[in-house]
Amino acid sequence: MTDPVVESEFASVSVRLDTDGNSVRLRLEDLRTGRVRHLDALELETIIWLDDGRLTQLLDPSHERWRG
Amino acid sequence: MTAVVQPAPVATGQSRYSQLIRPDQVHGSLYTDPTIFAEELQKIWHKTWVFVGHESEVPQPNDYVRKQLATQDVIMTRDRDGEVHLLINRCAHRGLQVCDDASGNSSSFRCPYHGWTYRNTGELLGYPYNKGYGGKNKLELGMGKVPRVASYQGFVFGSLAADGPSLEEHLGAAAGEIDRLVGLSPEGEVSLDAGWLRHRTRSNWKFLAENETDGYHPQFVHGSIFGVTGSPIGALYSDSSTAVTRNLGNGHSENDLRPEFRNFAEPLRWFGTTPDRVPQYVAAMQESYGDDAERRLIEGAPHVMIFPNLFIAEIQVFNIQPVAVGECVQYATAVQLAGAPEMNKRMVSQSIGSVGPAGMLLADDTEMYERNQRGVQMLDPEWLDVRRGLQRESIDENGFTIGAATDETGMRGFWQHYRTLMEAED
Ligand code: FES
Ligand SMILES: [Fe+2]
Repeated sequence: MTDPVVESEFASVSVRLDTDGNSVRLRLEDLRTGRVRHLDALELETIIWLDDGRLTQLLDPSHERWRG
Repeated sequence: MTAVVQPAPVATGQSRYSQLIRPDQVHGSLYTDPTIFAEELQKIWHKTWVFVGHESEVPQPNDYVRKQLATQDVIMTRDRDGEVHLLINRCAHRGLQVCDDASGNSSSFRCPYHGWTYRNTGELLGYPYNKGYGGKNKLELGMGKVPRVASYQGFVFGSLAADGPSLEEHLGAAAGEIDRLVGLSPEGEVSLDAGWLRHRTRSNWKFLAENETDGYHPQFVHGSIFGVTGSPIGALYSDSSTAVTRNLGNGHSENDLRPEFRNFAEPLRWFGTTPDRVPQYVAAMQESYGDDAERRLIEGAPHVMIFPNLFIAEIQVFNIQPVAVGECVQYATAVQLAGAPEMNKRMVSQSIGSVGPAGMLLADDTEMYERNQRGVQMLDPEWLDVRRGLQRESIDENGFTIGAATDETGMRGFWQHYRTLMEAED
């Protein structure tokens, strides 16, 4: 069974509920690089509540991945 | 009824515990006096290495489980980098219990009272409405931590004392018994993730610790399970047995049944089965250990009591934790051997039969523990006897004191170490 994919021309991320841990987590995979991140419930709730400005800051390519 | 047996009068120049603990007798008040229990918490449970759980209970990063360390509710966590921590389940703000679920997966914990939030390493990462504290990161607070955490073959121990002997020093010769258990896995690894049963027991914890290597009682107390299952184990605990009871030092002791199993030389006799019933396991053992596989399969798993609270009983593990002078909890789980699915299924079903809610082994022992607690509150005679086999003890080739299969050598070793700890100056 293939996992659902959230995709656009800019990025491609597969999404799965992972039950390997002691409670359920969201497993996200960047299909372009294979990088995987798990998010637990409190982290997801936190992302929902990030204000748009903070989220925009995180999208700045020099913020993490291409910091130089 | 919670009568306290009057302590024996203390003669001048002798410590309280050398009065209460003799080479061949121990005083009843050791099991009933709440002031002695309070001192045990300080000098044993909040100081020495105490078994808490197993790394396999937190297999994934950010997994956690709630565990008991004596009177303390602790959270065993695995952080993002894989390191295991023991946090004390108490908020640094106003002392609320932070985690309530028995287990979960979370990188951080948020206290439900005012929302203070901690990393799963215990560090405070933030609090709501931070202006009240002059901004972010203004508080040097965090959840309490068990200061020393160490593991051996995945068995996690905690010590509430910042200094003291290392875990290896504490385990001493008992470490070899854990190795023996792990050596029955073709991959050299065990896990304790089959789930723990929790048995509340109205008895002083020491009755359990002493009983675990008491080879004198099985024929009486466990007659019914031996009879129903046709187990050959009962016969190993008699005066004609070649098995030995060994004082391993530091309060640890074992019933070493290997001499008997070596005589029979039947692989898996210790487990009540034969190689043809678990062929893949036997093949995997031969693959991993070659010629030595046969010896391992003949000699079987250890029966060892590791002071003060870890009992490995061949196929299952007990975690004993005290609650009050007359109450403790026994947590029990089946051993699971990595790379041995055929064995693991059997270990779980055997454990259900022996220590499950309707199991026949632990229920029988527990009946004795609770009656023991009631009996010892009676005033006469004041002493319990621990002299069995004192006249026939000897020293084995490794320098350990050994007695016969039914002798109280293990108990005497327990009391020796107990006395050392209780008499130690702070
Ligand atoms: S007691 Fe935990 S946030 Fe107040
Ligand atoms: Fe027993």
